[in-house]
Amino acid sequence: MSTLHEVQTAMRDGLLGVGDPALAAVLAVALTPSNRISIYRNTSRSTLTKALRLNFPAVERLVGEDFFAVAADAFIAREPPATAWLDLYGQGFPEFLQGFAPAAALVYLPDLARLERAVGRALQASDLEPLDLGRLVSIDASEQARVRFTPHPSVSLLSSPYPVDAIWRAVLTRDDAAMAAIDLGAGALHLLIERRSSEIEVRRLDEPQWRLAEALFSGKALSAALEACGDSVATTWLAEHLSAGHFTKFRLEATPSATERGS
Amino acid sequence: MFPTGTQARHSIPAKTGIGLRFQHHEAVLEMPPAVAFMEVHTENYMGGGSPSRYLDAVRCDFPISLHGVGLSLGSAEGVDPVHLDRVRQVAERIEPALVSEHVAWSVSGGTYLADLLPLPMTEEALDVICRNVDHLQSVLERTVLVENPSTYVQFRHSTIPEWEFMAAVAARTGCGILCDINNIFVSSKNHGWDAYAYVAKLPPAVIGEIHLAGHSVRELPDGGTLRIDDHGSRVIDDVWSLYAEALRRFGPVPTLIEWDTDVPPLDVLVGEAHHADALISAAKDEARRVNAA
Repeated sequence: MSTLHEVQTAMRDGLLGVGDPALAAVLAVALTPSNRISIYRNTSRSTLTKALRLNFPAVERLVGEDFFAVAADAFIAREPPATAWLDLYGQGFPEFLQGFAPAAALVYLPDLARLERAVGRALQASDLEPLDLGRLVSIDASEQARVRFTPHPSVSLLSSPYPVDAIWRAVLTRDDAAMAAIDLGAGALHLLIERRSSEIEVRRLDEPQWRLAEALFSGKALSAALEACGDSVATTWLAEHLSAGHFTKFRLEATPSATERGS
Repeated sequence: MFPTGTQARHSIPAKTGIGLRFQHHEAVLEMPPAVAFMEVHTENYMGGGSPSRYLDAVRCDFPISLHGVGLSLGSAEGVDPVHLDRVRQVAERIEPALVSEHVAWSVSGGTYLADLLPLPMTEEALDVICRNVDHLQSVLERTVLVENPSTYVQFRHSTIPEWEFMAAVAARTGCGILCDINNIFVSSKNHGWDAYAYVAKLPPAVIGEIHLAGHSVRELPDGGTLRIDDHGSRVIDDVWSLYAEALRRFGPVPTLIEWDTDVPPLDVLVGEAHHADALISAAKDEARRVNAA
């Protein structure tokens, strides 16, 4: 008799297309077992493909349903989900597309997928309270340079050599004119993606703005971030980040008694 | 230690609710339909942002039933503590009247297989699921309901009839049973069981909820047919009849109309719910007549 662990391993392999024979041995059906197992396999595959479609709608619309289904199939076989929370399934999909030969001609496709991954993370991020600015003001002026922020989970940054924000909007709004006007050689860009109330906002940052945001979001100390930015209005941008609720807490640069200061 | 399954069912009236899907979010807030409660898939509300805010608004108007689809209570390797913690957080936030999951498994070797897969009906599987249900109930600090599955295969080494397996899970863990009438019908057709005998063998006192849904019929290449539990159509007459019999045996029970594929306009779901309500009323009247006689 098979143990439950053996049965579940055989069935998992059967569903992932690895080992039907082991599975057939434990099943008691008069009909061809694979016919019945295919019901489960089809449901599993279509549920996961649908999850990827919902999480990467612009990628799907751009490449078409059939192409997307082929890519999804290959991705699911390589990176099946670990959990039933499928709203964030496909975290490795952009990197998969990067190496997916049939899509190689669409050079901007992996970055479009990275943008959609950031949008998905922004949509699903926990509702954390933004940093209470009063706590920031209360610290000693001499210590302010050592402040390191923790970014809000709904906020992220993305850089791309292609105008993926314009492509993303044009594809999702089915704006053919905007799509036709896109200049792939327009130069690299930096994006900030966040959830504002219930809307997702994708906004371009210029080079110094990006250097500041990148330094702050990666947890560099405030003085180092301002220095990395190198722009005279850096403190104004910092104030904008703070008032927009881009951080949830801060700590002082590592000292023997470093402490976290929450909201 | 926990409220029993029968107590839990009193916080939702013995009337009919509907499965709330994203398509109907706006319509439900604009004009709350005349149904007794809303059931949502726990996994759809694990993030922050607008879905959670939406559910907060809906729960002002309706009792909520949280129906999980991915905890994999039947997994030999135990339930994923990370997913279990997400379920706990949703339950804490939503304060649902009911929490339910399935007698099935969907995780093996840390991979989520995205379907409710069948368990062999063995003593070992019974031990496993009871252990996992115990753990779930202690983490949530409440009793849950577990739903009988629809299945397309059986295992050679199964030794326990499914209805006995369901009753045993309830008896050993103190959980209630979510009796899916369509699933009983589908599995009975697929495996040659007697659906009415199945219903007759379930312990009425622990039935906390009933599920109703549509299913489809598929012709297999080898000439056989298989009923597929796809929740993509109206409840068929044979299932309504089995439901009426279940109400006679169990008494009035909160009932849910589920519809997941090709989701129709809200008023179609509400119409199905009202049909179920009419059968609940008829069963009550009949019970009164029998008692008076």
